[in-house]
Amino acid sequence: MSENIINRIKEIYPNGLEYEISGNWLIIKVKPEELDKIAKIMINLGARINHVTAIDLESKGFEIINVYDITHTNISLDNITNIIFKANISKIKPEYPSIGKITWQAVWAEKELKELLGINPIGLPDSRHQFLPYEWPNPVESKLREIPEVNIDGNYLQLKMPIKEAYQSLIPIGPYHPGVIEGQVVYVKVEGEEIVAADIKTGFHHRGIMKLIENRGYNRGVFLAERICGICSGAHGLAYITCAENLFDIEIPERALYIRTLLAELNRIHSHLLWLGVVADVIGWKTGFMYTWGLRERILDIIESITGNRITYGIWRIGGVSRDISKEIAIKAKRAIEELKEEFSKMALEIANHPVIKSRLISVGKLTYQQAFNGGAVGPTARGSGWKIDVRKDNPPHAIYDQSIISWEIVTDEGCDSYARMIVRIKEVLVSTDIVIQCLDYLSKRSGEIKSKVEEKPSKIEAIGLNEAPRGELFYYMKLYENNSLQAIRIRTPSYRNNALIPLMLIGCNLADVPVVMGSIDQCLACTDRIEVIKNNHRKIMRWEDLIVMSVNMSKKKGLL
Amino acid sequence: MSSEIKLIKYTIKKPMTLKYPSSLIPEKKYSQIPEVLRGLLQRDNEKCIGCKACHYSCSGKATTFQYKENKLIIETFTLRCAFCGYCQEICPEEAIKLTKTFEITINNPNEREAYITTELDLLKCKNCGKYFATKKFIDRTYQRLIEKIDPIIKESVMNDYKKIEEYCTDCRRMLSIKLNTHPKKYVWLEG
Amino acid sequence: MIELILIIFTSFFLGLFYSFLIRKFSARLQWRIGPLVFMYKDLRSIMGITRIIQPLYDIIKLFGKKTIIPESSRKRLFIYSPYISLIFAFISIFFIPFSGISLLSNVPYSLVIVSYLLIGSLLFMIIGPIASGSPWAFIGVRREAELFLVTEFGFIISLFSMAISKNSLILWEISISEFNLVNITAGLLMFTSILGKLHIKPFDMSEAEAEIVAGPYTEYSGKLLGIYYLTKIFLIYDFIALFISIFIPINTLPIYLSIPLFLIISILIIFILSIIHVLNPRYRIKNALIWYIKIISILCLINIITMVM
Repeated sequence: MSENIINRIKEIYPNGLEYEISGNWLIIKVKPEELDKIAKIMINLGARINHVTAIDLESKGFEIINVYDITHTNISLDNITNIIFKANISKIKPEYPSIGKITWQAVWAEKELKELLGINPIGLPDSRHQFLPYEWPNPVESKLREIPEVNIDGNYLQLKMPIKEAYQSLIPIGPYHPGVIEGQVVYVKVEGEEIVAADIKTGFHHRGIMKLIENRGYNRGVFLAERICGICSGAHGLAYITCAENLFDIEIPERALYIRTLLAELNRIHSHLLWLGVVADVIGWKTGFMYTWGLRERILDIIESITGNRITYGIWRIGGVSRDISKEIAIKAKRAIEELKEEFSKMALEIANHPVIKSRLISVGKLTYQQAFNGGAVGPTARGSGWKIDVRKDNPPHAIYDQSIISWEIVTDEGCDSYARMIVRIKEVLVSTDIVIQCLDYLSKRSGEIKSKVEEKPSKIEAIGLNEAPRGELFYYMKLYENNSLQAIRIRTPSYRNNALIPLMLIGCNLADVPVVMGSIDQCLACTDRIEVIKNNHRKIMRWEDLIVMSVNMSKKKGLL
Repeated sequence: MSSEIKLIKYTIKKPMTLKYPSSLIPEKKYSQIPEVLRGLLQRDNEKCIGCKACHYSCSGKATTFQYKENKLIIETFTLRCAFCGYCQEICPEEAIKLTKTFEITINNPNEREAYITTELDLLKCKNCGKYFATKKFIDRTYQRLIEKIDPIIKESVMNDYKKIEEYCTDCRRMLSIKLNTHPKKYVWLEG
Repeated sequence: MIELILIIFTSFFLGLFYSFLIRKFSARLQWRIGPLVFMYKDLRSIMGITRIIQPLYDIIKLFGKKTIIPESSRKRLFIYSPYISLIFAFISIFFIPFSGISLLSNVPYSLVIVSYLLIGSLLFMIIGPIASGSPWAFIGVRREAELFLVTEFGFIISLFSMAISKNSLILWEISISEFNLVNITAGLLMFTSILGKLHIKPFDMSEAEAEIVAGPYTEYSGKLLGIYYLTKIFLIYDFIALFISIFIPINTLPIYLSIPLFLIISILIIFILSIIHVLNPRYRIKNALIWYIKIISILCLINIITMVM
């Protein structure tokens, strides 16, 4: 213990420190005023922020939760992987010093706190809304922002613009754009075709899934968690189950662990094949799209013959899985996977050596190791910049990822551009097929239990669950009431982190590269911009302005304005 | 240039497109229909006892129930069903099964076809006249009770159960002293 | 005179057939079925039997749609340029010989007329979108114009090197002259520029839907877009007929031989175009320009050397 974290934090708290160890996590209670100092210490030690969030404790105020990952630092605290800092703040003055001013990793998370919970992180570098519209009334400031006047007559205001800016034109890419299927706006400022500035705005599709899961309880929530994303549904299911099982002290049967690994890796293969197709489509190569999606069909067929469904597997249960794999299907699936591996490895070689693809991807969307580290990139985006992080090794979910039992390794590439990310994903498909073959070997030879009995009452009241989704690290946090019902669940998806880095990667690129850069991080969002109200078969389309007027009226009625 | 030319060999392949709505070549209509497919839900009206476990476990809130005079109606709105198969797992009587039917598109969501309905007769409470539970449910509970019960108190429990069988839960509580079926007496027995 | 009336229908249906073939070939090379040739028997009662010539159906559908004219556009230019473009493409079919039938191609200076008509048609495909006032159209048009300049360079050089080597400015005379080495080198040059002009795949950056929505045609809809589609149908015929008549000496053959030969060669060209279309992603405009300048200058040099010899 060369650098003991507790000693360092004790320098701030000479008068004692409240901490407890629960599972693999060290939970430390701190004062809210000290959060930024602690963040500085942790970042200097090389720790990575998993998530910054808060829970509404009703009358007791808010509880701010900062989760750090210390697996890539020199701090060695036995088997501790994560440190959780907690601070209570009152509802009368919900403020604390911002962590976002120390590291970019926390900026989006703190914006979310500000917009959705009404907590004010003091000194947040970017005070604009991220998830709510820019012109929405600010819940913290409790006053109206300037709403741009809607010009009904069609007379446009003359903009006074310096000469240098007159050469530049602002192009909004999204929310409806054929190159980017999902809903977000990337504003790019171009001179000719070269991008000089870029900005990103998200929040076009807030579905409130976390609240829906809270209403259902943790048993039934897994089906909803799977439906957060249609592509990495398996990863979401595994992360949810890992989190829920961390609440209990249960032993999961080995066969169930193997089935989980199998499905999570099949999920990764199909997601990466899909991604390859999307990137091929974005650079105008419809053929590559068709080929990779054609191969993906076979993976989906295997998944369907195991679980009974193509996209949402629905087999994740607390304490195991719900369906077993028969010997015949395991042997059949193994043959199909081996064929696919052979075909894909040859095709991927041709794709990676294709001169036009190389010219489109190499040195596009540069993200250096330092940028990736400071910005908190996760998954293949980070690994494409030469950062060797993988949750499967650092902080494994409840499945078989032990490198002494199953042979696999983390794929990295030093290229730091879109091409490196493609190479990482292609290699990961091959690694995943190896894992799948090993799992199927085990499953076809042995048999056993697939589900263990779960106790009635959980032994802990809060838990975190991590999983390496195809796009990167997936973070779940659950907290229970004393009476064993779900109080709060927090989900941080990988695209949440990687999307925040898009403007950084875009500057200096060509306009033709914007969809490529956005595609190269494999973002995963969903989109809707207005509400369609269908009532008694009368259709009424609400326009943007109507919604703003509605929200202002609502705030006035509640006395907020 | 070379890998462009090498890619030519992948172009020679039969089309993967399925001739979906056309049934001229049946094996070309679907890629596969696996044995374990989770399709449309089917509830066996004979086996169903009306325990409502499927309602309480339904993740999509598709299965609902209502009391209508002397009937218990359990309905599953198939357009809300998420095909998770949790009700199949949880059903104590194995009455629910997810079939391999998956072409379930309908034109109007209000049509009766969209619902899978089970109607069960309810018993009338002898005391208050309220309809409370199905006959099958009472019988099955009784069976399970005598299967698992301690043989020492078996006879007295069976006698007690016979007495309260026809009363609803509220009336059972109310009449427990009068009929001498209050569970406290077992505690005394043990003590 | 009958020939002139017949060629209108022939060129229209051949144009449709070629664009159908490009779709069908590229679909089959991409593991897809593509547009149907025959409707399945059991679906005929629902779908009808005529839904087979997809390009024609696209145009008919567009003519039935409402045309939206944006407020911010220069309306006159926006509306009339598709029609002018169509007229140019349409007139040029009379000046290109069709497999042994001279049509109007033996009028003096017919080569110059054809090249002007084709340039005019492409030019109004560029001018119309400029008037639409959409930023996507501006970027698309910018790319289209840059590509137009480099492809036009190769196009004109190949046409006039043929004229110089055959010592004539009349298309018909060039097409019935002897086959020599210039036919091959100038033909290659022409083929590379046709790739860019027909937006075959590494060079379809002006219509790159993933980057700039629909490029030049973002604001066009309904009938005006239909007119542009129609223009493209005629342009495909124009380029292929021009290519075959100039570089491949089939016009001296009797008609019963030359027409099947024309069809076979044109299908072959379409097949090669589709293979190139399928195997390549889209270039960035910068890369495409560099590629074109490199290839065209090399081919031009070879062309001039063969011409001098």
